Amino acid sequence: MNAAYALLDDPQSWAAFSKPFNSVPSPDAASSATWESQVVVQGMHCAACALNVEAALCSVPGVKQATVNGATHRAQITWSAHEVRPSQWLDALSRAGYQAVPANDFVSRQAGQAQVRQQLWRWLVAGLCMMQVMMYAWPVYVAEPGDIAPNMLSLLKWASWVLTLPVMFFATDVFTKAAWRDLKHGRISMDLPVALGIWVTFIVSSAAVFDPDGLLGGEVYFDSLTMFVFFLLTGRWLETRLRERTAGSLEALINRLPQSVQRQTKQGGLETVALHQLRVGDVLQVHPGEVFAADGELLQGHTWVEEALLTGESAPLERHAGDTLMAGSHNLRETIHMKVLRLGEHTRYADIVRLMQSASLHKPRLAALADSVAKPFLAAVLLAAGLSAALAWSTSPGHALMVAVSVLIVTCPCALSLATPAAMLAAAGRLARQGVLLRNVQSLEGLAQVDAVVFDKTGTLTEDRMVLQTLITPQGVWHLNDAASPLPSAVLKLAASLARHSVHPFSRAVAQLWPQTEDCLPMQAVQEEVGQGVSGRVVNDQGQAVRELRLGALAFCQSGQAPCLVPLKALTAQVHLCDDNGWLASFEFLERLRDDAVQSLQALQDQGLKLFLLSGDTAAAVDRIANRLQWPQAQVQARCSPEGKLQFVKNLQAQGLHVAMVGDGFNDMPVLAGAHVSFAFGEAVPLAQARSDVVVQGHHLMAVADTLALAQRTQTVVRHNLIWAATYNAVCVPLAFMGYLPPWLAGLGMALSSLVVVLYSLQLARPPRTNTLATQKG
Amino acid sequence: MDILYLLIPLSVVLVLFVLIALWWAVHKGQFEAMEGEGERILRND
Repeated sequence: MNAAYALLDDPQSWAAFSKPFNSVPSPDAASSATWESQVVVQGMHCAACALNVEAALCSVPGVKQATVNGATHRAQITWSAHEVRPSQWLDALSRAGYQAVPANDFVSRQAGQAQVRQQLWRWLVAGLCMMQVMMYAWPVYVAEPGDIAPNMLSLLKWASWVLTLPVMFFATDVFTKAAWRDLKHGRISMDLPVALGIWVTFIVSSAAVFDPDGLLGGEVYFDSLTMFVFFLLTGRWLETRLRERTAGSLEALINRLPQSVQRQTKQGGLETVALHQLRVGDVLQVHPGEVFAADGELLQGHTWVEEALLTGESAPLERHAGDTLMAGSHNLRETIHMKVLRLGEHTRYADIVRLMQSASLHKPRLAALADSVAKPFLAAVLLAAGLSAALAWSTSPGHALMVAVSVLIVTCPCALSLATPAAMLAAAGRLARQGVLLRNVQSLEGLAQVDAVVFDKTGTLTEDRMVLQTLITPQGVWHLNDAASPLPSAVLKLAASLARHSVHPFSRAVAQLWPQTEDCLPMQAVQEEVGQGVSGRVVNDQGQAVRELRLGALAFCQSGQAPCLVPLKALTAQVHLCDDNGWLASFEFLERLRDDAVQSLQALQDQGLKLFLLSGDTAAAVDRIANRLQWPQAQVQARCSPEGKLQFVKNLQAQGLHVAMVGDGFNDMPVLAGAHVSFAFGEAVPLAQARSDVVVQGHHLMAVADTLALAQRTQTVVRHNLIWAATYNAVCVPLAFMGYLPPWLAGLGMALSSLVVVLYSLQLARPPRTNTLATQKG
Repeated sequence: MDILYLLIPLSVVLVLFVLIALWWAVHKGQFEAMEGEGERILRND
């Protein structure tokens, strides 16, 4: 039996994915005899699979019912706690070839499901009643006056009235409640004119049914009313569906971590424990197909992983012993052992989820903005409706009120308020699927205005990872290529002990030269000077700080207390190590240009952008890269301090350029904050700290060009949306005002205009067909 | 045409019954997992 499933036999754990199956909720839920559980089934491909899963589950005695949804890959199982345990039916499932994990979001999903059902119910009520009311209205439209007997006419009106009641009670409550809630809080929202229109129509028509000779006349508008409500609900239904499609990747991301893992015991055996029992330093065994539960290090073996949802990198990635594994990514090939380095809150996965949640939190602010613009507009609409009713009042009060209703409905600025957020959400959803995260949806506006892009070199144009080329010490020179002579371990250990306190790409490269982290020397008073180097004191066995070490740029090492005389042949190396007594070693690293660097820069240039290259590195190193990229000399600047980079960007901004800064997020904090928009780039960006507007994960530089191109397309779509919505209102309002637009047509227009906006925005959600999307500027 | 005086109220009652049936169907989840049920008939057991 699968040990992970045995954990689920504990009744305490049932509540997470099950609820007691009782028609009457019992106060003591745990004592319930029958439970209803939900699991997510993996490996299901078609509807036939769904039937197999059902059959497998139902074959277990004690399982009363099992239903599988092929679309959501979820199985709902009703089972008796007296006869069977979850592990038994989960085992039956795995014997049939399907793995299942408990659906821990069961309760919250049920709330969502109830909402979807309610929405469907409203729509069906409105649709059915609309059709039948139309049947009763039709004879009146086609017959000559006098053809239908008066009591038959009144019977038809009564029948329409009765069938409008369900619409008023079940279908329109969503508008009425929202309008009422906003009124109570002193707000005016778009639901108000809609609710007002519905109720005015209903009252006018009801008065005509009960008192045909009264002030409001004998005309009924039930057909208009029900049709209007039906169109509106249809529009909302489609809108919700479309929005789910564009912003749906978040949910897939959140429900990723396994609930139980296999941990190695001290004796070398394996035990199955729940996720929350894990501690940093534990060793886990992960099978192919499983998801890594924590950030960690691959201890032995070699496998392939898939990190698509986390980094946007869709191809499987090879991982060797010592490589980092990310929580939330999939193990594809081999059973491996990993050591847990970070858990829960501290994993990169948690950072990504938090970032995406905060980006989606910005939505209400956007909606509030739309509402605040809509407020004066709505006041004007109400005024106009009142005015139109007053003008026509003398001829026929009932007709006058219906003109007012048409004005109310047709002017509703739904399309106008959807124009911006619909496009931006669609674009943000697509970027998220490619591993580009927006801190805030509005930054798309800033991105669209960019006309200059400033690149940092290290970790941006080049890969984060550095390869040691040469090591120079007083004892001699080591080259990477002659593997015969082993590197001097004493100096490597010293350097790595200090370097592992820093996340600068050079520091990480130095730290990797000494992988045995457990016997690194303890350090005290470690200080990093951004972009320059790191210093600290070695602690001896008695716990006293003894010698000071400095690791970093030449100037940084020479600024220490002791004179650091670097021999001439080592002067061009990138990283130097010295202590109180002077120079110890110099490391020369080779940078690797990113594979798509040339292509991306070409794409950016094709978009008409000015490109600049800034680096804190030596002129020689920067020139090497600039030459390989054929970068014009005038737009390259080497040896920049962080302040210097900021100054450079400020100078560009003074020339009226909109500057986007692309950096690795470690050394460029001030300049990233100073630019109009900023990209933090690279695999190891500390997301929680990155203050950039856009976080690009993975290692495709092309993502920068794609994002800028998409931002411009988004701007175009927003502009088209706004023009279309404004035109629609400008044409329809005078028509309604003059009484040419019956309420049902106004409702159809309103629903259609919103749908057009949403559908038009959807073009942004489509993934690019080719990699050269950026070149098709538009 | 007097039969209309019976048929029209009858149609109202009929629609109300259909609404009740729909309420049951929606809240029992009959509109979820639409494809699976159709293929149930192809199952060989």
